[in-house]
Amino acid sequence: MPEKEEAVFRSAEMSLVQLYAPTEVSRDIIYRIGQLNLIQFRDLNSKVNEFQRSFVKELRRLDNVERQFRFLKHELDQREIPVKTFPYELNPVVPESEIDEHVENAQLLEDRVGQLIDSTESLYNKQKELKELKFTIQAVDNFFATNTGPSGDLDDETALLSQLESQTVSESHSANFISGVINREKVGTLQQILWRVLRGNLYYHSEELPEEIYDPKSKTHVRKNSFIIFSHGTIIYERIKKICESLDADLYNVNSTASYRSDQLAETNLKLRDLSTVLDESENALTSELVAISRDLLKWWEVVAREKAVYQTMNLCDYDDSRKSLIAEGWIPTDEISTLTTTIKESDNSQSIPTIVNVLATTRTPPTFHRTNKFTEAFQSICDAYGVATYREVNPGLPTIITFPFMFAIMFGDLGHGFLLTLVALYLVLNEKKIGGMKIDEISEMAFSGRYILLLMGVFSMYTGLLYNDLFSKSMTLFSSGWAWPTDFKPSETVIASKVGTYVFGLDSAWHGAENALLFTNSYKMKLSILMGYSHMSYSFIFSLVNYVHFKSLVDIIGNFIPGLLFMQGIFGYLSLCIVYKWSVDWFAIGKQPPGLLNMLISMFLAPGTVAEELYSGQATVQVTLLLLALLCVPWLLLFKPLYLKRQLDREAQEHHYQQLSNEDDLTSDDADEQDTAHDDDEEHESHDFGDIMIHQVIHTIEFCLNCVSHTASYLRLWALSLAHAQLSSVLWTMTLGGSFSFTGPLGVFMIVVLFAMWLSMTVCILVVMEGTSAMLHSLRLHWVESMSKFFEGEGTLYAPFGFKGLLSDVA
Amino acid sequence: MTTTNISSSYTVIFVFILVAGLSGLTWVFAPKQNQTVWRSSVILGLAMCYLMWAITYLAQLHPLEAPRRSDLRPEA
Repeated sequence: MPEKEEAVFRSAEMSLVQLYAPTEVSRDIIYRIGQLNLIQFRDLNSKVNEFQRSFVKELRRLDNVERQFRFLKHELDQREIPVKTFPYELNPVVPESEIDEHVENAQLLEDRVGQLIDSTESLYNKQKELKELKFTIQAVDNFFATNTGPSGDLDDETALLSQLESQTVSESHSANFISGVINREKVGTLQQILWRVLRGNLYYHSEELPEEIYDPKSKTHVRKNSFIIFSHGTIIYERIKKICESLDADLYNVNSTASYRSDQLAETNLKLRDLSTVLDESENALTSELVAISRDLLKWWEVVAREKAVYQTMNLCDYDDSRKSLIAEGWIPTDEISTLTTTIKESDNSQSIPTIVNVLATTRTPPTFHRTNKFTEAFQSICDAYGVATYREVNPGLPTIITFPFMFAIMFGDLGHGFLLTLVALYLVLNEKKIGGMKIDEISEMAFSGRYILLLMGVFSMYTGLLYNDLFSKSMTLFSSGWAWPTDFKPSETVIASKVGTYVFGLDSAWHGAENALLFTNSYKMKLSILMGYSHMSYSFIFSLVNYVHFKSLVDIIGNFIPGLLFMQGIFGYLSLCIVYKWSVDWFAIGKQPPGLLNMLISMFLAPGTVAEELYSGQATVQVTLLLLALLCVPWLLLFKPLYLKRQLDREAQEHHYQQLSNEDDLTSDDADEQDTAHDDDEEHESHDFGDIMIHQVIHTIEFCLNCVSHTASYLRLWALSLAHAQLSSVLWTMTLGGSFSFTGPLGVFMIVVLFAMWLSMTVCILVVMEGTSAMLHSLRLHWVESMSKFFEGEGTLYAPFGFKGLLSDVA
Repeated sequence: MTTTNISSSYTVIFVFILVAGLSGLTWVFAPKQNQTVWRSSVILGLAMCYLMWAITYLAQLHPLEAPRRSDLRPEA
């Protein structure tokens, strides 16, 4: 087997393959291909409606099974029965008979579970009714008991009641009063409506139920009240009943005679007891059924989901005229074709008609496929989030692995903060197997998927922190300082250090705590950010040359790359060179005034040929030459490519004209062909219009020249953020922990403990998490805008091979 | 004094040669698996670390500003 291309600098080479499979084995073949996870199938029936494709019936059947599984899953979730997730090993190819079994099984289970649920629900309903009846009887009992108590203090009302209660059975008892149960929230409404409708002609009594009643319809426990209404007249009673029913009250007939009532109560209690045993049993039956289902549900689901994916893929395929074989087309990495052919050969050894794999020659643009591993994956996704690289162009994901964390580190530089970040990242990296299997929330998931980015960010932050000589805003003296303080001076006298050497690694510790430290770090970090930005942009710009060479586009090298390079280097390369040159000159030794570089750059444009303070001899000539060169580059960039393309277009048009005259007959069929392909999904059509090309190039030129300026300025964010970070951490130190050392005794101990806790938590929350996020976003922008605009086209489509991974990701 | 300055100026070039050498070794001895990622990442990382160090070093080679403070106490 040939060695696989690494496919990270450029996307993998892809081939379009065509597959002829006999109809009888086509499902098995597609199944096996799905397990390989290699081919991105093209839709050969893009003009066919979703509902008119070959396997709609099969898909509908599987959809139904999935619906049944969803129903079961829903029931499991409601009863909080955990679904067992398998590390399942499924058969290489599930036979069709097994699918039929799954379909039948699912139907059976749905019916059974549905029945069980229905019966328990009706039992619950019954239970609710009985309970409410019980409470209503009790409430009526209570009511009569309190109002006809033996107190002897009989007023009119109670007299009436006792009379009512002692009435003979012969009279219709049901019409004497209305009793029932209603939602507690609706009690007030009921009372108001009754009052208005009956004009106060009633007696109303309501009592809270001692326990909440389970409502099987909404599956919640509801607080309810029982009520008793007295009034007179059959019509009025009918009206009251209607009102009660409209408010969802349940009415229960309760006998007005005490002895009958107690009989009724006893009977209800008995029924309730019987019912609850039945209910328990049916609940148990349902639960054990569901637990049994929970063991295998996901496995079945996986099988069915795979089957569905296979049929969906087969819907993309075409048939030959006799419908004897299935024709599929798809993109596959060229170095994987042999894997495909051997797999197919293995699968159809018994078949009389073999499956044939053809590699097609095509002008279509293949999808972009970068092979990633767990380390490069996150970096690649940063770039893919902005745009998918055009097929075979330089992949920005590769340099991003280093430049992204490094640009972050320039802004975040602090040994201590970097160390904290590294610790977190190391924890995630070292436990990646354990954490990868866990279910975690979205933000932790993001941190986990970017763990290698975090690790590099932490490591580089430690490096830049060393260079900035910042350890939680404190400095270290690792090497001998390049500055010596005078030894002979009075206290509180301002002293100036004298230079005795150069600090070997990083910022001199003598600057720490100096009054003019900010003056120096300000200038240092500004120049640092310009130099790093210039390097980053030049590096990215070189990739455009690599692209042009790879695509053999000489016109782009001459018309885009060279003038662009001259323009950029002539202005910003020169500026960077001047910065470095100015540093290398000992201005005190030669006794000259060091020139301001900003003024130099401005006067280079505004007053060419004049140099106020000379940096080196012959400066004026060099600057005028560079300026003229930059000015020359603008029309070069603007005109060369469009004019070259126009000439080519004219020549092509002439040739086409000749052709048209020579074979007019062929043309009609050609036209038909073109019409056909024009509808195809991924056929590319470039406009060959001079106007379009010109406009495109004008925009490109303006954008490039302006961007050279604005992007360089944009890198100054490195300066601003690193200064802000250093200042913020030193302020935090002096405001919290730094202040605690002035206390002594037990108070000092207490203050140090408290303020340390405060300092640490604020360091983590504000300086590491918040500042880190902001620095990360700035670094992201520097990559997406400042760097990638120099070479990245991003007009590709992501390679999405057909496979069985993650089919159930939204279920379990 | 001037001699020390000139020699320290060469430190930058000396370290550059060192880094270039290291990069060359990385190019040659990068692991076969994921070779491109190894080469690109290690060399680019070395280059950026070198640049950052060199800029910091150069900025302090002939500083125009000297540290100044008034909170020092003379040693006894």
